[in-house]
Amino acid sequence: MKTINRRQFLYLSAAIASTALPLRPSPIRSHSCLAMGSQDIRGKIFKGDAPKTLWKWSKEGFSYKKLPDKKVVCGICPNRCLLSPGDRSVCRSKVNMDGTLYSLTYGNPCSVNVDPIEKKPLYHFKPRSNAFSIAAAGCNFRCLNCQNWEISQAKPEELNNVELFPADVVNSAVHSGSKSIAYTYSEAITFFEYMIDTARIARQNHIFNLLISNGYINTSPLLELCKVLDAANINLKSYEDAIYRKLNGGRLQPVLNTLKTLHEQGVHFEITTLVVPGYIDNVDMIKQMCGWILENVGPDHPLHFTRFTPQYKLNRLPPTPVSTLAQFRNLAVKEGIHYVYVGNFPLHEGANTYCHHCHKLLIERQGYDIPVYNINGNRCKFCNTVIPGKW
Amino acid sequence: MSLPTRSSILKNKLTRTVIRVVIATGISSVITQLVTIREFLTQFSGNEFTISLILFSWLIISGGGTLLAGFCQNVRHTASIRLLLILSVLLVCLSPVQILSIRLLRDVVFTHGTDTGFYPTFAFIFFTVTPYALLIGFVLPFSLFVIRTNHSGYSGTRMYITDAIGDVAGGALFSFALVYLVTPFQAVFLANLPLLVFSYMLRDSKSKRHPLFILPFLLSFFILFSCMLLERKTLLPAEGKLVHYQESRYGRISVHQDGEQFTLFKDGIPVFSNQNLSLAEEIVHYPLAQIPHPERILVISAEGGIMDEIEKYKPKSVDLVELDPELTPILFTYGLIKNIEGLNVIHTDARIFLKKTDATYDAILINIPEPETYQLNRYFTVQFFADVKNHLSKAGIVSFSVEGFDNYLAEPQREKLSSLYATVKPQFNNVLLIPGQRVFFLCSDNPLTAAIPGSLDQKNIETRYIKGFFSGNITQQRMEYVNSQIDSQAPVNTDVSPRLMRIMFSQWFKKFSTSPHIFAILLIVFLVIYILRTTKEAFVLFSTGWMTMGCETLVIFAFQIFFGYIYFQIGLIVTVFLAGLLPGAFFGEKLKGKGKWLLGGIDILLIVLMAVFIIAVRYWSSYLNEISFLVFGFMISLLCGFQFPIALYLERNRPSAVTRIFSSDLMGASLGTLVTSVVCIPFVGIVNTAIILVIFKIISLIVAFTIHENH
Repeated sequence: MKTINRRQFLYLSAAIASTALPLRPSPIRSHSCLAMGSQDIRGKIFKGDAPKTLWKWSKEGFSYKKLPDKKVVCGICPNRCLLSPGDRSVCRSKVNMDGTLYSLTYGNPCSVNVDPIEKKPLYHFKPRSNAFSIAAAGCNFRCLNCQNWEISQAKPEELNNVELFPADVVNSAVHSGSKSIAYTYSEAITFFEYMIDTARIARQNHIFNLLISNGYINTSPLLELCKVLDAANINLKSYEDAIYRKLNGGRLQPVLNTLKTLHEQGVHFEITTLVVPGYIDNVDMIKQMCGWILENVGPDHPLHFTRFTPQYKLNRLPPTPVSTLAQFRNLAVKEGIHYVYVGNFPLHEGANTYCHHCHKLLIERQGYDIPVYNINGNRCKFCNTVIPGKW
Repeated sequence: MSLPTRSSILKNKLTRTVIRVVIATGISSVITQLVTIREFLTQFSGNEFTISLILFSWLIISGGGTLLAGFCQNVRHTASIRLLLILSVLLVCLSPVQILSIRLLRDVVFTHGTDTGFYPTFAFIFFTVTPYALLIGFVLPFSLFVIRTNHSGYSGTRMYITDAIGDVAGGALFSFALVYLVTPFQAVFLANLPLLVFSYMLRDSKSKRHPLFILPFLLSFFILFSCMLLERKTLLPAEGKLVHYQESRYGRISVHQDGEQFTLFKDGIPVFSNQNLSLAEEIVHYPLAQIPHPERILVISAEGGIMDEIEKYKPKSVDLVELDPELTPILFTYGLIKNIEGLNVIHTDARIFLKKTDATYDAILINIPEPETYQLNRYFTVQFFADVKNHLSKAGIVSFSVEGFDNYLAEPQREKLSSLYATVKPQFNNVLLIPGQRVFFLCSDNPLTAAIPGSLDQKNIETRYIKGFFSGNITQQRMEYVNSQIDSQAPVNTDVSPRLMRIMFSQWFKKFSTSPHIFAILLIVFLVIYILRTTKEAFVLFSTGWMTMGCETLVIFAFQIFFGYIYFQIGLIVTVFLAGLLPGAFFGEKLKGKGKWLLGGIDILLIVLMAVFIIAVRYWSSYLNEISFLVFGFMISLLCGFQFPIALYLERNRPSAVTRIFSSDLMGASLGTLVTSVVCIPFVGIVNTAIILVIFKIISLIVAFTIHENH
């Protein structure tokens, strides 16, 4: 029998050792979900996808710039879509028709409902009132867990829309007994032209305007909107740009800019963060997020931590444990934010409002019902502290 | 030249060892295939598209491997024992590596926690199974060429039979033993040991003396063994910790703990949570609020927290029917459902249960997932609802639900709700749709009300979600919206024509903003090129492969419709289909001299058999029993096996012919699986699918009679 030489022995040993490598005790999977899969799901322009002709519900874009060769660049959101004639924007609701930018959703919402204002959620703005809620097709994000993907990830002409021009929206809102109009569900920024015209008429008719949004908007149109905006709920989806790109197809900084602008303009707003297991359940990140909020917009804007349930494409994750939401709520309060709520879970004490000064129960919420209400005007009934919000 | 006799062949030790390797390869390949299918179903959407894509990819790549073997043999006579040994050892290594790569690459390629669309799923399946499937397709004809280096007259049919013996053994071993006893990597370990041992026996005298000869065997063994140790590690969740893992015959069950929350995943999808209070309330209280005193309740498949809610009505008895006997003990252990007084757990298929029981119920709560597979579609058909109605007390209520919508009812979803409404409405005087987190269908002959919170107040039933959220979420406006969208004249969903599955497919494609059209066009182009370039004999085999898999799909589907989904019996059908090929090929070899007339005659018999199937399903369904399906399956595969040696004989058993015939069978089978499962049955129903298969076979028959024999 042959003997093996040194080189053969080394090869043999290395080969056997390599097969035993997986036996090492460390876990195989990295616990950072960020390293996995596509890193950036931001949307792309739809080349040559504009309809042949405009329809009744088209309106020239509110904010855009004309460029040579009949190209245009949309100025509404940070996507800043550069469109050649015949192209459609990332949000699917704007097109370049022969050198002019048009919105395709003006007066043509796909969803119209009357909702309790707490559903938005807005807890510090006219509680127990109804919001006349409208949405048109399109979104500038691509969230993997979108609960309204049927309308946010669709083109206007693909949906069954209803005709409701701005004046009709206001009339309908008044008729329904709603105190406010909420621009919501899909992404209101993508139907900016429709929203701002409606909001202006609503303001004249003493109807409040509510923006329920991802906050992905440029400062200039936002400043214009703030003139007629009464309240907003901005979805701060994460405090990490990488997660924004990976799960939502957006960027973080523009959203932070929006929060700052709203604060500077004196618009009441609340912030919502959906706690997605494996992605947005990092204590350090939440701590940093709270730090930014305190430093830039102060402690008085309510913050909602809402429970994730498997949705749309992100359907292979568990729901958020309620204890995680409670933990984040405690953490945010400890960091100094005055009003922090737990959402998407029935009858949790974290849905109630407690005075940030005397810590007594101000509002008890059982779903959308409010059996206990201890605010006089805008002050705590017990210690007379001013409670931020519009009551 | 006279053909070698069986005894003379077996006298040759080497040939005998190669035959053992082929049988062991058959065992390994079938078990690897079954474990792979289960792994993919755990990692991706478990709809018929995914199942078909796996089988399609596997079979078509194997067909490619077979063609490659013929090509290599023609260009350079590559067949040698040493290479067969290397390839066999490589197969042993690739088998666990394939499973491992599916698990580990899933989250590398796709974003963790996401569902994937058609094309990414297809691409992932295709690339992960390519190394193994290509090699397995290559090895079978290659083994034949190796034997022919010693016995030039060794027939392809013998090789076909030998491989089929391994396939049958592997299929039976997995379906009736391994699936109950071991984990996937353990199954792969056991399945590959015989191949490893017999490959070792292929060594020649020169190799025996080389000290490094043992190395590849050691390596393979270590890979097989170490993968077993990685079983749990490769299942560790990114969130929480894995507290329970079990492979049941119906799929993978794992329980993850995150804080105080336990979530049970079935095939990778979170299906139970101990914190899903709102859904449990909706499932229970929407129907039970409608009736005065629900005393006897039937629950078809549970939901987390459901028993706590049912208990509030103090029913006398609650029968819970769960298909998977492994599931309920886990549900109780982790507090996902409560063991309440009067609860009686029954482990069987709910349709079988309804057929056999005489019991009547005041309420039947159905919690079945969306109808995206044949198995699930059976719980949303006219026939099922008729059975349900038969077991309902006079004032009883039935409820079931499908995926909900938030603020807009998209088109496929509207079609689905309409079809369901049209399907269930003829059975009941009243059907009420409630657009909650899911869309709930309440069905009763008594009047129904949407004023659920009021009814619950009257009964003094306390709730958390319904009390606080119902009025804001389920407004009159939303109720009117959903009801206004329903088309009551929509086509109904029946057992033999699963319309809902087609809608589910549309919904799946819409969700990923894609369409199967590009794939379909590519497939048609491929098919046309293939048919134009192949021989007539190969085309007949291609159509037979198509027919075998098409029939297997049809039979499994029909069997489930009539007798329910029983794992053991479905396994038996698959085994019978594989087993029928053996005597078929054996007799075919004996009678192959009859040439094209026999080939055509078998085609006629296949057509007749399919005609009998059509008539039986359509007119004699009440007379059918389990045995009749097994006999039918056996006959079909027997006839299919019969054609193989004849086609080979007509092609004169040349190496290129052997690989062409082998690959035709595989390619036909791949397309038959895909087209029958995801196009024919959902679009035209079971009977018309059988008619399409008959038409296809008639074309094959015409081709068979135009073959010019040169013998």
